[in-house]
Amino acid sequence: MDYIKHKVPPVREDRLMACQAYGGTCGDLSTESKKGCLYASKRTFSQTQGCQLNLSLGMISSMRDAVMVIHSPIGCGGNLIQNAGINKVFQKLRQESAVGLRWINTNLSEVDVISGGEAKLRQAVLKAEREFRPSAILVFNSCVPALIGDDIDGILDDLQKQVSAKIVPIHCEGFKTKIQATAYDSVYHGLIRNLVGEDNTATPAVIRTPEEEIEHQAKISKTVNLLNVGSMSRIDEEELVRLLKALDLNVRILPSYSHPDDFTYAHEAALNVSICATHDDYFVEHFKQMYGIPYVLRTIPIGIANTNKWLRDIASFFGIEEQTEKLIAAETAELKQAIEPFKAQFKGKTAFLTGGEVRILTTAELLHNLGFEILGLRGYHFDKYGEILLDEYLEDVPNSEKAIFNIGSGQVFEQANLLSKITPDLFVGHIGVNGSAAKQGYPIFPLFGQSDDYLGYKGVFEVATRVSRILKNASFNKNLGKNTRLPYRDSWYEQDPFTYIDDSASVAARIG
Amino acid sequence: MSKVIERPRYVCALGGAIGTIQSLPRAIPILHSSSGCGGNLAGALSGASGYNGGNYCGGQALPSSNVSERDIVFGGEGRLQEQIENTLKVMDGDLYFVVTGCMVEMIGDNVHAVTKRFKGEKLPVLAAETVSFKGNSYYGYELVLETLFRDFVEPAPVKDAGTVNLWGVVPMQDVFWKGNLGVLKSLLKKLGYETNTFFGQGETLENLKNSGKASLNIVVSDAYGIEAAKVFEEVHGVPYITVPLPIGDHGTSRFLRTVGKALGVDDIKVEKLIQEERKAYYPYLERLADVYNDLDFQRYATVVGDPNYTQAVTRFLSDDLGWLPELIVVTDILGEEQKERVLASFGEYESGLRPEIVFDEDASSVGGYINRHWPQNQGQKYYKGFAPGVIIGSVMERDTAEQFKVPLLPVTYPISNRVVLNRAYAGYSGGLTLAEDILSLVVAHR
Ligand code: SF4
Repeated sequence: MDYIKHKVPPVREDRLMACQAYGGTCGDLSTESKKGCLYASKRTFSQTQGCQLNLSLGMISSMRDAVMVIHSPIGCGGNLIQNAGINKVFQKLRQESAVGLRWINTNLSEVDVISGGEAKLRQAVLKAEREFRPSAILVFNSCVPALIGDDIDGILDDLQKQVSAKIVPIHCEGFKTKIQATAYDSVYHGLIRNLVGEDNTATPAVIRTPEEEIEHQAKISKTVNLLNVGSMSRIDEEELVRLLKALDLNVRILPSYSHPDDFTYAHEAALNVSICATHDDYFVEHFKQMYGIPYVLRTIPIGIANTNKWLRDIASFFGIEEQTEKLIAAETAELKQAIEPFKAQFKGKTAFLTGGEVRILTTAELLHNLGFEILGLRGYHFDKYGEILLDEYLEDVPNSEKAIFNIGSGQVFEQANLLSKITPDLFVGHIGVNGSAAKQGYPIFPLFGQSDDYLGYKGVFEVATRVSRILKNASFNKNLGKNTRLPYRDSWYEQDPFTYIDDSASVAARIG
Repeated sequence: MSKVIERPRYVCALGGAIGTIQSLPRAIPILHSSSGCGGNLAGALSGASGYNGGNYCGGQALPSSNVSERDIVFGGEGRLQEQIENTLKVMDGDLYFVVTGCMVEMIGDNVHAVTKRFKGEKLPVLAAETVSFKGNSYYGYELVLETLFRDFVEPAPVKDAGTVNLWGVVPMQDVFWKGNLGVLKSLLKKLGYETNTFFGQGETLENLKNSGKASLNIVVSDAYGIEAAKVFEEVHGVPYITVPLPIGDHGTSRFLRTVGKALGVDDIKVEKLIQEERKAYYPYLERLADVYNDLDFQRYATVVGDPNYTQAVTRFLSDDLGWLPELIVVTDILGEEQKERVLASFGEYESGLRPEIVFDEDASSVGGYINRHWPQNQGQKYYKGFAPGVIIGSVMERDTAEQFKVPLLPVTYPISNRVVLNRAYAGYSGGLTLAEDILSLVVAHR
């Protein structure tokens, strides 16, 4: 991978042949996906989803001491409005003095569309610097400036000479891709190009004595970058840090809720530890190539099996297998005892999960281990990383090849139809689709949460207690199920849920 | 050149249009835009509006053509046609309304040509070009109303003297819109009129369709819905008046007098209604007689937000509650003419108060105005600042309130630290609710 030289990263449709429309079973998907042409399918009826800009903001708007500039008409980035005034609480968990979200919208008007938005972009960046003196100014580019051809990089290069904040362009126009996860590449692309490494023109290089240098290198050799995600809570982070510290490692947490300075020395690490390939593959690959830092990317530490895999991958890199096995043995023994009482309650219960491919497959395995039968999964998209994980899942969870697998972000009409047919006891969902399932009366466990623990060994216990609590009384959603209606015709529920997936193009791709 | 805006309190025309359409009973918006626009706007529409939720068809349920790079190159009209056909099959609504994002405008798709092909079908398919860069949420509201009035409301040559229409309370942007519309409707009922509010509880599309026979349109705003009123007048021959959103006795009594006069209601009847309402209103405020005075509950106030609310809250604080709302920050993008109309709505206070009114869209400017109005402490021993103070604004004023160590009541959009269901601040009853909420804040700090 060597896209960093380019101004913008490629979209995931091209880079990973990511698929965004599919309906079948886990077994079929595993076979089909290996043929490599799922990416070409599309929908002839679709519902809205999110765009690169949404997700880029979701990933990095939490950065402390930064101001965001959204170069767009006034509506893009609108999702931020609901976090204005409340995001600070989460930032403060990382730094007491944190301030809340700050952003400036360039408010492109019809005149700007005709004559170019470059002057407004300048105005916004200078305003961000003048009013807030942040460490970094993150500039997000939306559809309109891309279509009118604003020379964003040129202007920002020029502005960088005038402001002391580090300027980070993030090219994330929405129409370029239907795979929202491309946003992660856009954000990392901007961060790697603009924040990583010391700027020796601004700060003199550190001079160390030979002894200091040895000590410094020793420290680096035990330092890992733990790549968190926006959906991770502070408690999640603490659990992973606890496990890594138990292995005598130093942990630096990036990129969500980080400070721009945290990136300066990000390349002084022995290993990049990801918790999600969908999120991090672009970053870790480039770091490996540019700085020779290897990485761990296989899975997210959710559930016992995947937490063990995650730790073992890290251990084998550092050659500390023995110590790690001891940790795993002690942790799992204690945990298994703690979750035993829940298994009786969950035995014979069924579940359906929806969200990112990595997260749902691992959470499904966790629920399976707690006694649930998994009836189906809906992934936001699917690519080679999902393929690897799905095969492991098929191996670890008996009889799972017949479970449903549907691919599509948003597209709640397909979900509503599916749920009316397979009626699980528990619905596990990403934010944005839970309200729809709630109106069908299902008890709902949110797939992630900013205030709760899901990861590591503690996460398993926490998930068990919360699922148990939610199943104890689902009256609220049951009432909704009886008294509200989703906006679909009755005839829709009689049809195949995948009626509007058109894979003729993928068939053509396969033949051609 | 329009200004760049720090933390805007509205989204684009497309967002305003979606919020408006999804607040109509059984109406289905169809987005002709890039796949991300609907998802991007969902948080602003529901999450920031007191968790208003998506209504019947909102959030991720919104049908959208999801045009991408390929369509941008080849044009998206074919995709739109397919999307409308299939939407009619899958989505269960009584009215379908195509709205557009900025990309499809730039590539020159003609949505009207496409929707025309659905003319004569069982269900109506309307369209408006809600191009994002032409205006904000309020403009989108206006465009949707104009389209409904032109293309959906049926001609009614004979008017009904007992029916009026009322709008100007913008769904979602007025977080309390539904409750407010209900209150205003029942007040007019007491005056002897049936009212179509289009978006309120219990409204139907039939009401909207037949609204052409109303004898008056009442626009409860000095800023929004006025262009649509002109269209209504032009197409259906119904005159309109504009009247400020009323909260509490003083605001609502003025409202009733203005509306009564326009409708030719007998003065005596209007005054009688006002007297009756006051008889129900003041016994509640009377309960505060001790606590208000024993504990000295009078406060200075800074009011921040859109023109509808800022003027209404200011009048309520000044004339009903006897507070000192001395600084008002209006955060909308307004034209010169609109600004003048809005300025005029802050005045003629019984209290004789003359608040300072500033127009500024940037969220973080508010602190600066407070410091200017109530000069900062420069370390002097004898000093009087913004104390005792209260900010009535939105959740965006959280930092500012913290900085000045004063309580904040979020009443204007965005609100994400309160849940709002059927609460209303309009009318006499709304005034009592606002008094409860504000004074609860004050006692909570004891
Ligand atoms: S898809 Fe484009 S226009 Fe729509 S919200 Fe995203 S960046 Fe803005």
